Amino acid sequence: MKNFPRLPALIGAFPIVLVLLAWQGLAMSGRVPATQLPSVVAVVSRLIEQLGTANFLGDVAATLYRLFAGFSIALVLGVGLGLLAARSRVLSRIIVPLVRVLGPIPKVAIYPAFILLMGFEHSSKIALVVADATFPILLATLYGASNVEPKLVWSALAAGTRRGRILTRIILPAAMPSILTGCRIGLIISCVSVFLAEMITSTEGLGHQLVVASRSFQTVDMFVSLVSISLLGLALNFLLGRARKYFLRGFPEES
Amino acid sequence: MKPVMRIPGLTALMTCIGLMLVWQLAAQLYDSASLPTAWAALQELPRIFADPQSAMDIYASVRRMVIGFVLALLCATPLGLLMGRSKTLATALNPLLMVVYPIPKAALMPLIMLWLGVGDSAKILVVFLGVSLPMIYHSYQGARAVEEKMLWSAAAMGMSSTRRMLFVVLPAAMPEILMGCRTGIVMGLITMITSEMISRQVGAGNILFNAMDMAQYETVYAMIIVIGAMGIALDMGFEAVRTKLTSWADRQTDNTVSSL
Repeated sequence: MKNFPRLPALIGAFPIVLVLLAWQGLAMSGRVPATQLPSVVAVVSRLIEQLGTANFLGDVAATLYRLFAGFSIALVLGVGLGLLAARSRVLSRIIVPLVRVLGPIPKVAIYPAFILLMGFEHSSKIALVVADATFPILLATLYGASNVEPKLVWSALAAGTRRGRILTRIILPAAMPSILTGCRIGLIISCVSVFLAEMITSTEGLGHQLVVASRSFQTVDMFVSLVSISLLGLALNFLLGRARKYFLRGFPEES
Repeated sequence: MKPVMRIPGLTALMTCIGLMLVWQLAAQLYDSASLPTAWAALQELPRIFADPQSAMDIYASVRRMVIGFVLALLCATPLGLLMGRSKTLATALNPLLMVVYPIPKAALMPLIMLWLGVGDSAKILVVFLGVSLPMIYHSYQGARAVEEKMLWSAAAMGMSSTRRMLFVVLPAAMPEILMGCRTGIVMGLITMITSEMISRQVGAGNILFNAMDMAQYETVYAMIIVIGAMGIALDMGFEAVRTKLTSWADRQTDNTVSSL
């Protein structure tokens, strides 16, 4: 495998191409009406056409804004609370049971409450993203921070690091791989929940686009918004992978 | 990990009661129709369950979720295990899975409804899709981490590859598979609610969002309690089963991390 560095990419592309070909073939065979399954070409050309319109870009911008706002808040909350719970026994007695109880609740079910309390604007959707994305990040941080080698902390203390700085200097970097894994899960979940929130109630955004398209039976447009969110998730995943490489330089290679 | 992580049911109950109290206080301070008190929402509960229509709806939801979940378990776990043991299969399928992952499965609901109609099968399929991905991922991770030496010894003792899969890889990957199931349960619940909310025919999600449209806020919050309780109960029940089945596995690993 090592002699062919491009081979895995090729093998990986194969099923995707196969799915696309099967899709296109099925659409072209005429067995299924285009109102149920538009061809790949039709979807892609529609997507390219849409990319030039201000309306579509506005929707993408709205979705991205909510996604990033929610994810950033979740990141701060998750990492902050996770570190606190890992370092303080008293706080962990409060935080851990809360996470245990709140974690498995499907957050979409709480979304109506968010709408009632915060209205139909950005804030209720951001709140849903925060509610969904915080828990995986928090748990991953807690896990990473509680498993830091105590010797690292001792050595740092012996070397004269002040106690207050242990958290930022030792614990945080040591927990970084775990935190980044949590971020990855959190990011995908953010994508999903922002889309769902927009599908439920919204006046703009990719999810709203899908609902509008489905109400008017514009199957091509339904596919366009689904493909867009998938591409968005892929791009974000790629960026996070880059960030991971940067933050984890010096760590032994893993996954 | 400290014993702090081992929370018996009592702590969970206390936490729930605490949350309810906070809610009650907040509602009394906020005093608005859009945030009824916890007590008002709880009083709504018997009414929901006494109404045969909504009781049936909730039952139908759970039934769909269970069917979707079991189907996903039967398909996703073998696929994940195979991916974990075959490098070619893994490199082939991983990118495809990565493309599919960020698509909210419930967002496929309108499309699937076009194909399969609005009946049970569409919703079961959506739950199936939602549950499958985390399950594939976890069983893949589990099978990948199986100690090679065990496989070699099994092969040396003359086990065929199918039997190795069944008797070595499957048990060794079990903790990870069950973790995937736990994530899957929550995912299943989410997709179930969302699919019902989008197709608006029957089910718990339907009651929730209809109440929302008709401004019956107590019912909205009561349904949130019902669905939330389902999530917590399923998670805790499953966790009990999981610890029983995999008590041999390393207790160091804190499973809550990979859940959700």
